[in-house]
Formats: sequence, structure tokens, C-alpha cells
Amino acid sequence: MNRLVATYGRTLTALFWALLLVWLIALVLVPTGMMVESSLWRMEQTTAEAQDSLDIDRLYNDISVAELDRSSAIGAKAAQLDAKLAAMKRQVATLEGREIVPVKVYTLRNYLSMSGLHVRVFVRTLFYSALVTLLAAVVCYPVAYIAAFARSARHGALILLALLVPYSINELLRIYAWLMVLDYHGLLNTLLIRAGIVPADDPIRFLEYPGSVFLAMVYAYILFMVFPLYNTLTTLERSQIEAARDLGASAWLIHRRVVIPHAKPGFAVGCVMTFMLSAGSYSVPRIISRGTGGDWFTQLIYRQFYEAHNWNIGAAYAVTLLLACLLFIALVMASFRVSLRDIAR
Amino acid sequence: MLGVYLVCFLVYLFLPLALMAAAAFNSFPQPALVPWQGFTWHWFGVLAHDERLISGLWHTLIVGVGVTVVAVPMGLAAALILTRLQGRAGGLLYGLLVSPILTPGVILGISTLVFWRQFDVSGGLFVAGAAQTSFIASYCMLIIMARLQRQDRSLEEAALDLGATPWLLFRRVTLPFLAPALLSAGFVAFLQSIENYNTTVFAIGGESTLVTEIGSRLRFGLSPAVNVIGVIFLTVTVLAASLFVLLRSQRR
Repeated sequence: MNRLVATYGRTLTALFWALLLVWLIALVLVPTGMMVESSLWRMEQTTAEAQDSLDIDRLYNDISVAELDRSSAIGAKAAQLDAKLAAMKRQVATLEGREIVPVKVYTLRNYLSMSGLHVRVFVRTLFYSALVTLLAAVVCYPVAYIAAFARSARHGALILLALLVPYSINELLRIYAWLMVLDYHGLLNTLLIRAGIVPADDPIRFLEYPGSVFLAMVYAYILFMVFPLYNTLTTLERSQIEAARDLGASAWLIHRRVVIPHAKPGFAVGCVMTFMLSAGSYSVPRIISRGTGGDWFTQLIYRQFYEAHNWNIGAAYAVTLLLACLLFIALVMASFRVSLRDIAR
Repeated sequence: MLGVYLVCFLVYLFLPLALMAAAAFNSFPQPALVPWQGFTWHWFGVLAHDERLISGLWHTLIVGVGVTVVAVPMGLAAALILTRLQGRAGGLLYGLLVSPILTPGVILGISTLVFWRQFDVSGGLFVAGAAQTSFIASYCMLIIMARLQRQDRSLEEAALDLGATPWLLFRRVTLPFLAPALLSAGFVAFLQSIENYNTTVFAIGGESTLVTEIGSRLRFGLSPAVNVIGVIFLTVTVLAASLFVLLRSQRR
């Protein structure tokens, strides 16, 4: 703090802190806090008010019945009905006069009222995201190793370029490419029809299988595992591997005792990013299932906000997802024994 | 053996993208390779006259510039403060400022949406920009911090000893030293903003950017016009990535 003032003076230091605090408070902390806050309340009628609105409904029913009777009634009966009608209408007026203003009630019910189906979707989302992460780690480790220890600098640069292009192309386009493959009239079906495996008039509806979302998700996020691994592996001296080899270690032993331990921070970052992107992905399920399926938890969140217009429940669902991701990060950091500073390097 | 593995992996990565790109040149009105009805530039013309996509592109550029202009100074300020802040406070602040990167994008969109609703600002370009800034500033901060860690402080001290005012020091010593990092921070910020879908789709409300427009279009059946966008993105990406790799290998 003082060192900052010593170098940049009071005005600039104040400006820096102002920028930092605006970001931290107005863009990060308070919005998150408000999301959590709004997940903890809902607008409710008090029981007395709920009774009132029931009474109003019943009175309106009675009024319509009485009006129907009145239309066919004559003489004394008609007068009697008129009086009854007038009385009922007055009663409705008084009841409506104190018509309900829902009150804000703090409750955990937004969380606890999650239906069994939604809980299953939530669990499935986390399970498949973990599976995507695991698969990415297994598939990407050799790739990152080859890229980091390429035969020549030129070779390494080429591999890096080949990985960088699909990594930087827009997420939606990567998913769209898979949509073209898996579509009803897509490439896979065309091939299967040509091969005579599938009848031409009845292609397979791949997109309706949950596995399609999984396939596209692996494709969309797998490279988020490669680059953290690559970055840590490039800091490993080639001579360390050679020393291990000279001492007679098998390839397997070298990986298990030298390379993989060194790559731990890379695995940690890769796992956190891949899991977080998968569990929080809205693009893949929305595009692959054409918005019809409810396979992924983010779709349920979106629906609470933009279709059911129930922001409080939506916020509760969002907080649930956030907590799951935080828990995953904590787990990864504990099991790989790395700190946050290693993670975001 | 490893080479075969790598080739298989690259085929897996590139085949779907190549198919998507190739289908942009097929006359057949559905994006496909079979039936191949002849080479055409037709879909490029269709795209050029698609007004919703064009307006989405403008929105994307507006948000992208806005986010870059705000996120880079915020990242710079935070990086300057954090490199001089040790101990627990520094660790805590660092954790908080990095947390948006580790938060799912949809959550950032939602929390920003909920926040601005308190001020009667509903979802739109502004809210989307605010939501994007929250995590893009973190990326900027990390990029700038990486360079600051290699800074030779004695240069700044010398400038102060020679009587430079803080402003002059900042403008003539600090900023020039950080220029490459600021440039890549700006580049990354702009790209991240353009590309973003998961955060934006929650915060954009009734408006649209290029990417959210593509996203909503993909729901209603495919059009070769989207493949054309794919071709354009792919070309730009290949060029930018080649440039990046070239600069990187020259620096070594």
C-alpha cells in the first residue's frame, strides 16, 4: 500500500484502488450477494389473505349462480334474489378492498422445493461433467506431453498451432459442427444409410439421445485440459526425463514418478476449467437438444428465469450450481495439493 | 506410436470443422456434403443481406469495445496493487479477483441480471457488457501481473530519484514497460467478449449479439449461412493463431 503511494503518488494510487473496488464490489461481490439474497426469499400471501382470495372466488361463483336463477325468477322470488345478489356484491367489494399484497418471506423453500426430477437432472449434470473431465484428462495428457516434448522447436510450434485453432474457434461453431454430424439428415445418418445399416426412410434420431450432448460436450471443452497441461509440462526440464531414463526407469515409471507429479498444477487447472465449463454449459444442451430436452441443469435455470419468470427459484438453482462448482474446486485443490495461486497462473 | 495417437486426436478435432466449412460451399439448401449439388458462393451473399445477423454483429462490436475499454484499466489497476500487496490480505484479494474465471458463465450472467434489476435496468447490451467485464477483467489482470513479475523496480526508483512526478513515471516508465501485456490483454478481452455465449445469453434479455443470434437460429433448423460464418471464423482464427505461434517462437 505504502509502496504504491511511494511510487505512483496519492492520486494515481487512489485511482487504482477506485478501479479495483468498482470491479470487485459492483461487478463481482454485490451481484453475487444479491443473487444469493434473492434465492432466500419469495413473495407469499399470508394465510388470512389466502383465505380471502378463496372467499372471493367462491362468492363470484355464487353470484353467477344467483344471476342465472334471477334471469328465470319472477315476483317475490326475484326481489329476494336481488337482495341476496346485492349483499354478495357488497361482500366481494369489501374483500377486494383489502386485496392481497404478497409479502416478502425469507425461506429456504426455493432450495427445498426442488422436485425429484430436477434433483435427478442436477445429479446427472454433475456426473456427466465429472466424466467429461476425467475423459479429457486421460485423452489430453499424452497430447500435452507430445506437444511439450516435440522433436524440434518447429515441430512443437506446428502442434501448438494445430491445437490452438480448434481451441480458439467459437464454442457455438464447434457445437454446430457436431450438430451437422448427428442431425436427423446429418452426416452420420447419411453414411449409415449408404452402408445399408439404417433404412433410408427411417434414420436414427441421434440428437434425442442424452449421449449426444455428452459427445458434443467432450468435443467443445476437451482442449481446456490440453493447454494447462502443456503450460506446466513446458517448465519441466528435458534433462530430468533423460536422467530418469539413464537410471533405468521404464517409460511408465518416468511418467508416474517424474512427469505426472510435475504436471499436477496443470491437471488441477484443467480439471477445474473443464468441469466448470461442462456443468455450467448452456450452449451445448440448448443447441444439441434444440431446446426441447431438459437434460442439463443450466436449462432448468434458464427456464426459471425466462419462461416461468420465477427469479427467486432461478437464483436458488444458480446458487446450487455455484456451490457444486466451488466444492469441486476445493476437492481438486485438496487432492492435487495446489493453492489458488498455482491454479490461476 | 505417440505420433499416431496425436494424428488421430487432430483428425478428431479437425474433421467436424472441415465438414462444416466445406458444407458452406454446397448449393444444396441444407448444410450438408451429400448430396453435393455443386460449388457456390451463394450463401456468402445470403449472409451479407441478413439484417439480424448484421445488427447482431454491430452489437457484438459495441459490447466488445466497451468491455475492453473498461476491463483493461481495471485489470491493470488490480495487477499493480496486487504485486505490491503481500500476506493474507493480498491472498484474499487475489482469490476474490480471480474467482469470476472459476465461476460458471451462466452464474455471472444471472447475478449481474439480478443486480441491475434493482436499478430497473433490464437485460440488454449494457448488462451483458457488465457481466462479461466481471470475468474478462480477471484475465487482463493475470496477463498484466505475469509481466509485472518480471519488472525491474530499480528503473522506477531511478526515475523518482531523478525527480519524475508520479504521472510522468507512470506514463513514461510503467506504461511503456507494460505495453506488450496491455496489448495482449486488450486483444484477449475483445476476443473473449466477442466469443462469449453462456454469460451473454442470460444477461442480454431481448437484444442479441452475433453469437446469441447464431445460438437462437441453430434451434430452428440449419442454414448454410451459419456455415459461412464458420468459414469466416475459421479463416480469421487460423490467421490469428499462426501469427501468435510465429511471434511466440521468434521471441524464444
